[in-house]
Amino acid sequence: MSRTLRWVLGLVLVAGLLLGALLFLPFSSWLPGGTVANVPTGEVVNGTAFNRLFPKPQAGEDLIFTQEKRGFSQARLKEGDSTKALLSISDVITAPEAREKFSGASQQLRSWPLVEQGPQASALLVADRFQVKVIGQGTGLDQQKRHELIEAFDLPGLAALNPAAKSRRALPAGQGQPVRVPVPDRQPKEAADLNTPVLEPAA
Amino acid sequence: MSTILERLDRLPKRNLTVLALKGVSTLVPGGWRNLTSADELIADVMGSSDPELIAQVRARADTLSRARHEGYSRAMSLYDAVNRSQKAAGGLRVLANVAGALPLVKQMAQLTPASETLQAVDLSLKVAAEMLAFTQVNGLPGNSFGDFAASLREYTGEASVRMAAMVCFDALLPLGDDALQRLDGLLGRVGQKDLRQLPAYAGMASLIPGRGDEAHLSFLRQGVDTWLGWAGGFTSGLALTGQKAVRALESTLGPWQGGFDQLATFLDAFTDTYQHTGVQAIARRLVERAAAEI
Repeated sequence: MSRTLRWVLGLVLVAGLLLGALLFLPFSSWLPGGTVANVPTGEVVNGTAFNRLFPKPQAGEDLIFTQEKRGFSQARLKEGDSTKALLSISDVITAPEAREKFSGASQQLRSWPLVEQGPQASALLVADRFQVKVIGQGTGLDQQKRHELIEAFDLPGLAALNPAAKSRRALPAGQGQPVRVPVPDRQPKEAADLNTPVLEPAA
Repeated sequence: MSTILERLDRLPKRNLTVLALKGVSTLVPGGWRNLTSADELIADVMGSSDPELIAQVRARADTLSRARHEGYSRAMSLYDAVNRSQKAAGGLRVLANVAGALPLVKQMAQLTPASETLQAVDLSLKVAAEMLAFTQVNGLPGNSFGDFAASLREYTGEASVRMAAMVCFDALLPLGDDALQRLDGLLGRVGQKDLRQLPAYAGMASLIPGRGDEAHLSFLRQGVDTWLGWAGGFTSGLALTGQKAVRALESTLGPWQGGFDQLATFLDAFTDTYQHTGVQAIARRLVERAAAEI
């Protein structure tokens, strides 16, 4: 092979790679990765499921939802124009370090671990999967009031939420069981109230 | 790419943009504070200045803003696109005037304004960018339309200064006090060619729902229609007029002797109000989420 031919071939290869990379550039948001902590979005519980579990506002208060994403939902508890607290539920599957902080928890609420973060935030880990947090805003809330707010969430309902289906690539080819479509199953109300242990998300 | 909080830390503390915003904020109840420190913002949200806690929130916020699926950086790129195009268009108009004329100061007061149609499209793009950025940052909060509307109201209340800046700089000053009434008529005259002239459109086209310029144009018009209902109430509630806006700006920027539309051109070319308040708004929501997730 002549020297020039080798050079030309090399250049063509490099140019091809560059061109391919450039073609894919606009699709970068659809390429794999790009999720929080690289957990596939399918494995994270959608924030829509959390909304109905928030506490009902008392007279004179307003609950205004501010953010809803995969694995996260947040609302502000307002009294008139001032924000009293930020209420939120999040799926800790994307934040392992958030789950770890509960291992040293000294307090418990309905047998779930409860921790304080600074003077204004209380967090509860429900069913080892969902973090419920109340952060006092403005003039602030005392610890007692924050714990009452956490208890006002529909905690058994939260514990009964099915973690989203695992991705299907775990099935061995050709001999798998029929694929279970992740249909949200309506559990009878009694079952939900019995504080049924939630299915552990397989690691 | 730098994260949202890094950009917040880099925002200017005092320049033309900040002064213009300070001026506009005198028209809005509640006022405005130029928050340019991420640590301060985190301490404000958490109600604690514990450095370890702040570092945790910050690390989480950086993870979230780097994740492409989460939309925070996408919202930022929307604001960037709009800002770039505003500056480019404004700068060109200034250059056209300054070139060949040495007495720069005299010429500054005679900046040629953009044609009104283009100005209307520019405003509609900003409105669309605002709506798309809202859904990118906040998702679709709540399970009912009422929840969503309440959430939107909450957001616009929080962002009242940026809304006032948008109404004043992009509607009342360049288009006159009856801007909101005329806007729909002006947009009706917009063709695909006008749309293509705006650099911001190229950057935003892929994020606007619908396929093709026609569909995008009708989305823009619908977006502006919804916005007009709100903006009308906002303007009449605060009794905003071009005159008032100019007087408010003069209180911080100094006296202005040109026309209203020339002032609008000047602001387009030399300030980044939209981007500045955009970074602050996104950073707040991002920190509120990070604080809840650590």
